[in-house]
Amino acid sequence: MSVPDSAGGEEVKQAKEIEDAEKYSFMATVTKAPKKQIQFADDMQEFTKFPTKTGRRSLSRSISQSSTDSYSSAASYTDSSDDEVSPREKQQTNSKGSSNFCVKNIKQAEFGRREIEIAEQDMSALISLRKRAQGEKPLAGAKIVGCTHITAQTAVLIETLCALGAQCRWSACNIYSTQNEVAAALAEAGVAVFAWKGESEDDFWWCIDRCVNVDGWQANMILDDGGDLTHWVYKKYPNVFKKIRGIVEESVTGVHRLYQLSKAGKLCVPAMNVNDSVTKQKFDNLYCCRESILDGLKRTTDVMFGGKQVVVCGYGEVGKGCCAALKALGAIVYVTEIDPICALQACMDGFRVVKLSEVIRQVDVVITCTGNKNVVTREHLDRMKNSCIVCNMGHSNTEIDVTSLRTPELTWERVRSQVDHVIWPDGKRVVLLAEGRLLNLSCSTVPTFVLSITATTQALALIELYNAPEGRYKQDVYLLPKKMDEYVASLHLPSFDAHLTELTDDQAKYLGLNKNGPFKPNYYRY
Amino acid sequence: MSVQVAAPAVELKELSGPMDKAAAAGPPCAEPPGHGHGAAGAVCPLPAEREAVAAAASCGAERPPLSVCPGLSAAAGATKVPQASAMKRSDPHHPQHRHRDGDGGGGSAAEALVSPDGTVTEAPRTVKKIQFADQKQEFNKRPTKIGRRSLSRSISQSSTDSYSSAASYTDSSDDETSPRDKQQKNSKGSSDFCVKNIKQAEFGRREIEIAEQEMPALMALRKRAQGEKPLAGAKIVGCTHITAQTAVLMETLGALGAQCRWAACNIYSTLNEVAAALAESGFPVFAWKGESEDDFWWCIDRCVNVEGWQPNMILDDGGDLTHWIYKKYPNMFKKIKGIVEESVTGVHRLYQLSKAGKLCVPAMNVNDSVTKQKFDNLYCCRESILDGLKRTTDMMFGGKQVVVCGYGEVGKGCCAALKAMGSIVYVTEIDPICALQACMDGFRLVKLNEVIRQVDIVITCTGNKNVVTREHLDRMKNSCIVCNMGHSNTEIDVASLRTPELTWERVRSQVDHVIWPDGKRIVLLAEGRLLNLSCSTVPTFVLSITATTQALALIELYNAPEGRYKQDVYLLPKKMDEYVASLHLPTFDAHLTELTDEQAKYLGLNKNGPFKPNYYRY
Repeated sequence: MSVPDSAGGEEVKQAKEIEDAEKYSFMATVTKAPKKQIQFADDMQEFTKFPTKTGRRSLSRSISQSSTDSYSSAASYTDSSDDEVSPREKQQTNSKGSSNFCVKNIKQAEFGRREIEIAEQDMSALISLRKRAQGEKPLAGAKIVGCTHITAQTAVLIETLCALGAQCRWSACNIYSTQNEVAAALAEAGVAVFAWKGESEDDFWWCIDRCVNVDGWQANMILDDGGDLTHWVYKKYPNVFKKIRGIVEESVTGVHRLYQLSKAGKLCVPAMNVNDSVTKQKFDNLYCCRESILDGLKRTTDVMFGGKQVVVCGYGEVGKGCCAALKALGAIVYVTEIDPICALQACMDGFRVVKLSEVIRQVDVVITCTGNKNVVTREHLDRMKNSCIVCNMGHSNTEIDVTSLRTPELTWERVRSQVDHVIWPDGKRVVLLAEGRLLNLSCSTVPTFVLSITATTQALALIELYNAPEGRYKQDVYLLPKKMDEYVASLHLPSFDAHLTELTDDQAKYLGLNKNGPFKPNYYRY
Repeated sequence: MSVQVAAPAVELKELSGPMDKAAAAGPPCAEPPGHGHGAAGAVCPLPAEREAVAAAASCGAERPPLSVCPGLSAAAGATKVPQASAMKRSDPHHPQHRHRDGDGGGGSAAEALVSPDGTVTEAPRTVKKIQFADQKQEFNKRPTKIGRRSLSRSISQSSTDSYSSAASYTDSSDDETSPRDKQQKNSKGSSDFCVKNIKQAEFGRREIEIAEQEMPALMALRKRAQGEKPLAGAKIVGCTHITAQTAVLMETLGALGAQCRWAACNIYSTLNEVAAALAESGFPVFAWKGESEDDFWWCIDRCVNVEGWQPNMILDDGGDLTHWIYKKYPNMFKKIKGIVEESVTGVHRLYQLSKAGKLCVPAMNVNDSVTKQKFDNLYCCRESILDGLKRTTDMMFGGKQVVVCGYGEVGKGCCAALKAMGSIVYVTEIDPICALQACMDGFRLVKLNEVIRQVDIVITCTGNKNVVTREHLDRMKNSCIVCNMGHSNTEIDVASLRTPELTWERVRSQVDHVIWPDGKRIVLLAEGRLLNLSCSTVPTFVLSITATTQALALIELYNAPEGRYKQDVYLLPKKMDEYVASLHLPTFDAHLTELTDEQAKYLGLNKNGPFKPNYYRY
């Protein structure tokens, strides 16, 4: 459960509590959660509570992974230096005299601006969207209330939305992830931001409320990450929905909540599920993990991969990425799978499909990416060879049965941040990374390029919902239209200096396609 | 439709009436496919997703449980069968593939026929149109509006092995008497069959035994299901290529309790000795290599029209058998439990029937099952691109600059193989999503004219037409190799090379040098037809996937409880798809992990699958 370090085990425990608190409905969260749950915690809960019969479960690990950069290289300038006065008590005004915001310290705006400018370099898609759409201002008149991680990357998104004509009010979807200086920069630039790092539960809801509950301003679009904002509006200001044209939701959790609302017939505006768009999914899973598995292992262990025997548990998108990267570095890769189709894919890609117990004695690295629980058990851990590395790239912290290692006969030794040696009585050591939490969130970064895909998708979803003719979207949850998905991809092609071929009229006619897409039917698998 | 065909044309025209017209003239898809049938009340306004919803709803068995909400079911149904027409544009393009759907391609009358040994012969004018022609037509007639088109090239490609290494012992040796005029009996005294020469049975048996070695999945299926005989009582009438591989399928069906009667779906592809071996072992087989149009329908009729025997299942490849029964014996459908159709063409016809409300039994589209699609496209082409190029040109790939047009499944396979050989690979694409995938996989995305001067090989796999134009060909460097891995022979504008100033030189079978006045040569493979069908083989393993899928589809339809399948076209349930894959895992000595009860509960899955929601992309 990749809980940020600062949160530690306590958060996990809360997750459990909520888990016990019965059915996860929109109602339950607020009233029962004693403290604001951080994202990952309820993700775990969601898994457990997933309707068992439907067989529908999330195949994405994205959560809001791609929208958080709490582990990114960008330093937070303000972590420890600040005074203890709560931002709520402070009177601050930006250089234009406005005090319609609440951040840690408006004076840090300059640092934040620098961060935003760095992020802009890698988010050329959003910048080009600004340019392309600036003339027509597709969001003119849009009043967007947002609740996402507040980082340099989302700042680029927010400023893009403003450039396209929208008015924005923003709060954070995570009490820890806010970059204070970025929030300050946004406030300085005139965006009504209510967020700081280390909010309390009460602060969290207060910030959201300040975004929504304003005299003389009523939101007509919602951009949410996790569903908390939507939930709050539902509970407190149901009338606001009369003016709302649509909700754009990014996270697995939030999407799940929307589907439940929709199922219960309670969804009264159209909602767009951007989490499952093709481009975003590929980048959150396959491409991102293909890089971060190597990065995460290198940063923590400095291991050399050539000739090492590695077993990857699970051959979904994440597993495929890990295997490809490791194979490319000369590792000998084994795969375990439960799904015969994915298993056959692994075979055809040249990987030996084995059961974990068959190779556990000989492998040097064990990587889990199944979304399942207890894939690596104490029994497996007992049989591993000395200095075997164990880590998790999957959904949550359940894949490796870490609790089973908390027994008296085993010694835990923290050798560096995120790296524990677990020592058996006979001297054998197992190297456990990030205590079984997500390796790529704990020990590696999410590239800005991946976040750019997400942010662009969100911006286009907002534009689509806001400009859709009456009746195109009903009170339901939609996937981003394929054409928009393709547009997200096409906006990112210039970074590769990639030159897309255009169909001739003749060819388009032959294929029965519009020259501008969509190019594939919906069932296409990519 | 094959107007140019001499005598049989009349009959042909008449026969292929409604279906083909629909196929040809039909505005195939102004509307989404499954649209007509109960979309479960899901109102999904987003046009793009509507079809998926409808499709999802049409398949009760697989329908995502949460589909109460349209958006969701749209997502979940995304992989579901889509639409009728669009379904597959890929057609067999098998040069020898018989087809009577039409002959849009006027010029194809003189299309060359390629025999297994690679020699090229002129197609006799009187025989039916070969594949390419109607392929093209189908393409042309494709609904322009919907943007729905087939993404698979599988057709019945994977069910034919006319290019396989298996020799035909009988090509030239036989007498000229038509099998229809011969009186033959097998060793058990039965004469309920019609093959070229029953005496060749022993050779055929050997071929079948070889094929069995490489089709362990079907053999395993025989063993696993033999006890319960899941097809006991099934009377299957089949129309497929008759090859050693389909013989293994047929004998498997027999072992599972079915009675079979079989005809060929292609007038050229039958292996006579295999047909003989089947006849000898008691299967009523009506097929020989080189049937006439008339023979073709006669064979089908002999399968269907039998005293005291009425089929209750149909296994079809191309839709001809289904069509014949529709036209001649419509009453027979009262007893039929289902149709299993393998080819793109046949599936397309079924969707049109369904759309017109004329489909009166459930049909199973096995062409679009995940496993089959991956093997027909990605895995098969990944190997055959190298094989095809090597066999024809003996070239070395390391360091060569290659441009691959199109980055769909076929393009991905080609690129992966070439990259692995050390080539420098460029990609062209029209779809930004696939283009981005190419970028992330480390290929330079270019426009063709940017690199055409410098590349050593041009490979097309777009499904489009005129991707390589005369202008490109003019600018290529000396001894550039041009070949096509895509759908049809339209991708390279070969016709534009038939001009007086260019000299054509056939240097070996399937390899032409086209020489410019200044001496520049380009190397054109298979005259722009499909390289992997013309110059390489389809591995038995790929055919095994197809055959296993067919067998499971038959079992599923035959044993489905009343009401599970309505009068509609279905995709193979995911669970069966997974089962096909699992039957092939032992070949790789692959050991599948099983979920513990606890884990299954945690994931909300059944321990035995299905393991993924329908919208999963693999």
